[in-house]
Amino acid sequence: MISLSHILILAGIIFSLGLVCLLVWRSNVIMLLVGIEIMLNAAMLVFVGGSYRWGAADGQIFALTIIAMTSAEVSLALAMVVYLHRRQQTVDVDDFHELSDQ
Amino acid sequence: MKLYLELIILLPLLGAVVNALCGKMLPRRLSQALACAVIWGSFAAALAVFAAYRNPVTVEIATWLADFDFKAPLTLYLDPLSLSLTLMITFVCGLIHIYSVAYMAEDPGYVRYFALLNLFVAAMLLLVLAENLPLLYMGWEGVGFCSYALIGFWYKEEKNADAGRKAFIVTRIGDVAFGIAIVWLFKLCNSESIVALNSAAPSLLPWQITVIGLLLLFGAAGKSAQAPLMVWLPDAMAGPTPVSAQIHAATMVTAGVYLLMRLFPLISLSPTVLAAVAVTGAFTAFYGASCALVQRDLKRVLAYSTISQIGFMFLGVGAGEITAATFHLLVHAFFKALLFLAAGCVITAMHHEQDIYKMGGLQKSLPRTFYAFLVGALCLAGFPLTGGFFSKDSILAAVWEQGGLLYGSLYAVGLLTAGLTAFYTFRAVWLVFGGEAAPAAKSVRVPVLMEYILGPLALLGLFGGLLNLPPLFAEGLLADFLEPLIVSQQSELSHTTELFLLLTATGVALVGIAAAWYRYGGDNRQLRLQESGVPVRGIKAFLLHGWYLDNLYWLLFVRPYGWLSRVLWTHVDARAIDGSLDRFAALLGRMGGYLGSWTCGRVSLYLLSFAAGAALLVGWMAWLVFAP
Repeated sequence: MISLSHILILAGIIFSLGLVCLLVWRSNVIMLLVGIEIMLNAAMLVFVGGSYRWGAADGQIFALTIIAMTSAEVSLALAMVVYLHRRQQTVDVDDFHELSDQ
Repeated sequence: MKLYLELIILLPLLGAVVNALCGKMLPRRLSQALACAVIWGSFAAALAVFAAYRNPVTVEIATWLADFDFKAPLTLYLDPLSLSLTLMITFVCGLIHIYSVAYMAEDPGYVRYFALLNLFVAAMLLLVLAENLPLLYMGWEGVGFCSYALIGFWYKEEKNADAGRKAFIVTRIGDVAFGIAIVWLFKLCNSESIVALNSAAPSLLPWQITVIGLLLLFGAAGKSAQAPLMVWLPDAMAGPTPVSAQIHAATMVTAGVYLLMRLFPLISLSPTVLAAVAVTGAFTAFYGASCALVQRDLKRVLAYSTISQIGFMFLGVGAGEITAATFHLLVHAFFKALLFLAAGCVITAMHHEQDIYKMGGLQKSLPRTFYAFLVGALCLAGFPLTGGFFSKDSILAAVWEQGGLLYGSLYAVGLLTAGLTAFYTFRAVWLVFGGEAAPAAKSVRVPVLMEYILGPLALLGLFGGLLNLPPLFAEGLLADFLEPLIVSQQSELSHTTELFLLLTATGVALVGIAAAWYRYGGDNRQLRLQESGVPVRGIKAFLLHGWYLDNLYWLLFVRPYGWLSRVLWTHVDARAIDGSLDRFAALLGRMGGYLGSWTCGRVSLYLLSFAAGAALLVGWMAWLVFAP
């Protein structure tokens, strides 16, 4: 039988994997986006697990909302990656530091 | 039983998956043979099911959608209606697959073609065998997708891709209504199973049944090219001819009729809905027949005749006679597939010339195709003792039986349409096959395989009437088989009335054929050919362009939509939203400039410190929990 703590542990593992991907793979913006997606999926899993545990549909609805939201977010983010690549011919995260003036 | 039922659907799906994934790596012969073999395997499974069939069975294969109350498992339901359609679909599609091997012999895209064709059959069988509405809807959308992809099969020509998109969008409009009906039915009955819905229907309020019935009718009209959504079917002829035969004549376009028959116990509770179905059918039948009178493209003649014949099926459902509608559906599938495949032979022989005024004399050069086409034409025209004659007559008899002012006038419209049908069918026959050979038709050749395929279909069309002879002659086999589906026993027509109706139908068909002979047969054919050079005007142009419905919809829907979009774009989006956002962004940008001087600007460093902060927080919380 799968209990809520199993789901939470799995979600924790997936979340850490996403976080590590985010922190380590800085040479490519796309991998950064992938890391974010993985973390979002972990969050979604927690929602679904909660919905399963308490028999309430709210968590599932939340998960569906996250799916819709992430698809919108990814399309925007990928468009920005294409734009950045056109501007600087690179997708290395550290090459973009125009936010600070120097 | 369960295994066979699963095989019926899974075999075509297997063919589609294998061809889609590794069809390019297989030798051409193997890929084609696989595509045909899976359909015939499916037919064999359907035969085995037919032999073992005793009572309606429900087979649950797997769970699919399940969420608290809502359940839509992968469940198949086999009853006489779905069984007879399954047999017809697998058989006709099997023949068309073999025909396609010859027809697409020189096309490089054959892998995509066969993968889609197999996928179509799988989706269509799923639609027919589904036990609950969401599953049926999946098959419904599946066939819609395959139809879209196959209409636009030669997508490099803009026109074909446009036709595919048009078909997809127009049917989608109907699907929205169908989708609303599905959700609403669940809300009302707390179930999605078709059997449960049909038995729960009497507990619904009359107005709910009426509205749901009308929504279902609109959905069915989209799929089956009925008024007001019939504009996509003539353009759908841009696809390869076997596709037109399989999807846009024999199987998919009858899905709407099937849906109404499947939910007949529900819709029949509302006389308004039945009348609406009958009026839609009769109107569309007349519309299709009138447009077919003047078309010059052979495939468009057949497309309009399909619209018209499906109108007859709707009329049959509206008259409350599912047996007659099923009978016409089956026989129509045989003879319309036959006509399209014969047209495919003609078009191949004429090197892709489709204008019937440029053909001629093919009777001598393509005798086998000629006789097959003639059989199909006789069925379509309702020539006495062919399959089409009996099936069309059973529908008209059912309408007559209903009586009253409404159904009486619908009978008259049906009869008039039958006459027009005989006329335009034989107009095509004499223009294509009669007279002297046109210059392009001197040396023609068609792969023999394509012509042999016409044989079985011609036999089925010709003797299809034996499936369900009128009660006057014998007990109908199909009526007997479909007996469990009949909701209310209707009064039998007396044999004299029946004979009278049969003779009337015969007379109308013969008059139509004679009129066609008078105008297009013999020496008059030459006159018509000379006239065909001048551009058409007046009523002829009106009919040629399908009553200008495309232009009307353009004016009513596309133009206002375009205008609204432009206003929203230039005023609302560009000025109001973008303008305010631009100003806001400029403000933020200025503020960011001040704040930015404090930072290093490296995203990865931010992320790392963010993670470190989060780790600190988590650590603190853990300390709070676990520390004493």
